Amino acid sequence: MITRVRRRHGDPALTALALLALGLYILFIIVPVVMSGWKSLTDENPIMAQSHFIGLANYTAMTHDDALASSLSFTLVMAGAVTIIANAAGIGFAMLLNKTSLSFRVMRTVAFLPQVLSGVIVGFVWRYILAQDGILNHILMALGIIGGPVSWLGNPDLAMFSVGLVAAWVLTGFTTVVHLAALQSIPVELYQAATVDGAGRWQQFRRITFPMLAPGTTISVTISLITMLKLYDIIAALTGGGPAFATQSTALYIINLAFTDDRFGYASAVAMLLLALSAVIALSVTTLLRRREVDL
Amino acid sequence: MSLLTAQRRSAPPIAPSPARGRRPWASRGRLVVAGLLTLAFVSPIYLTIVNAFKTQGQIIQNPEAPPAPPTLQNLTGALSRPDHIVQLGLANSALTVVASLVLIIPLGAAFSFWLTRRSARFRRIVLAIFGAGLMIPPAVVLLPTIKILIFLHLDHTYPGLVLANVGGGYLSFAVFVYSGFLRSVPDEIIEAAAIDGAGALRIWWKIVMPLLRPATATVAIFLSLWIWNDFMNPQFILGPLQGQTITTGLYLSLGQYSTNYAQLFGMMLLAAVIPVAGYLTVQKQFIAGLTTGASK
Repeated sequence: MITRVRRRHGDPALTALALLALGLYILFIIVPVVMSGWKSLTDENPIMAQSHFIGLANYTAMTHDDALASSLSFTLVMAGAVTIIANAAGIGFAMLLNKTSLSFRVMRTVAFLPQVLSGVIVGFVWRYILAQDGILNHILMALGIIGGPVSWLGNPDLAMFSVGLVAAWVLTGFTTVVHLAALQSIPVELYQAATVDGAGRWQQFRRITFPMLAPGTTISVTISLITMLKLYDIIAALTGGGPAFATQSTALYIINLAFTDDRFGYASAVAMLLLALSAVIALSVTTLLRRREVDL
Repeated sequence: MSLLTAQRRSAPPIAPSPARGRRPWASRGRLVVAGLLTLAFVSPIYLTIVNAFKTQGQIIQNPEAPPAPPTLQNLTGALSRPDHIVQLGLANSALTVVASLVLIIPLGAAFSFWLTRRSARFRRIVLAIFGAGLMIPPAVVLLPTIKILIFLHLDHTYPGLVLANVGGGYLSFAVFVYSGFLRSVPDEIIEAAAIDGAGALRIWWKIVMPLLRPATATVAIFLSLWIWNDFMNPQFILGPLQGQTITTGLYLSLGQYSTNYAQLFGMMLLAAVIPVAGYLTVQKQFIAGLTTGASK
């Protein structure tokens, strides 16, 4: 049956459409990666008429680039911390909202809203909330938790915390919805059996809910990590990478190198590093989590 | 807020969970906890909405209060700017979304259909290569993409932006959704059409495309949102000379209005209203598309 269909696959018009799609993908994903790889071996910048092949000089320069080191540690810490926090919060929120009555359905709908907003809007809204004279300080001072206004975006350490908070806020909308769907696929019989066996709430969570959520958690964690490794627009609107580059993600650093500093060659080398890092992290985490799904 | 409380009052009594046999007060407590947490979670969105209808003085004095009396000045002010940045931004974003979708949907669907007629091995390899498009941080390929567009004389143009959208990671997403969906299409349907003598292109257009409608809905919904909210591509591929999309326009205005919160909230509300309304309208398909695979 399949063979008969496949014998007809020679239709040139369909093949042409398919090859056009493949060609565009190659042109705008594969070729750019190859170009980045090649340019990372040159000293290209737009001011010089000609660029030179400089071997691995850009890569050796990366080893003593403090801005790169700080952008990498910021990106990796953010990716790890926000992924864990957003997924833990998502699982908790999903379990709390896992009811079918109208009020819970309304809450589920609005819980996803942060995901619908553009990163630029999210960044601006939070910039207002976290400002020196912003509403967060307003509330905390009214409650007597802090004596004077806290500089959430002006202090380097607090600014990192603030970016993490905002990113976690956005991602939790997503992790909640994914885990809600996963929760709804757990058979009620499992809990009934556990209750008969005298298992408490915590045991039910540990032995049934958490393991049964695994397929959802795999997707949710992977996408959270990828999102964090790409993070650009929220930071651009919230802190612009500051203060003093404390919140400059590696993605933002690449953009700054390429479009502000005009160091195309070096920007390409950092881009290759981020690409390799994303690939290793995404693949190893997915493999690990998949294996966990089978084990559980 | 008033919507939530109104619905909470009229909500049907929650049946005790069959698994755990909770007492009613526990259910009510859960509703209160869930409601308070949800309110806290969406409070940034609440702030955006109420402050869009307040004067600068009202915002500074009472940022969390509802607008009393509400003013439309921020909205009319944002819409009557001499540079028409909101209207032009909305129009440019809409144009980019529509043009990108009109190309990605048929290309992605045709490619995925074509792929089903190849060997399993070839399909696996191609899908793995397309998977990379979902993972690669856009900052990595941005600079070479602009070089390619310069080579094609399409840099700083809308066709260039659309082309980069079509060939980039968005196509990967479309191919993944379509390929996943096509696995559920019985071969008999396509076989029957093939026996009737229909060519592959006609089978694709007359039979496969209508079958793929749910997948097309998912692709259209998510890509509209992502392309609408995209900031990096319009900022750098389009540049400042070709007018603004809604995200770059908003980003640009922030510099000018960084302390004029009233004006800013008005613009943010206008920028957010279309994606939020869209999400609320197609919410069911949205969540369904998001969670396929999460609950295998």
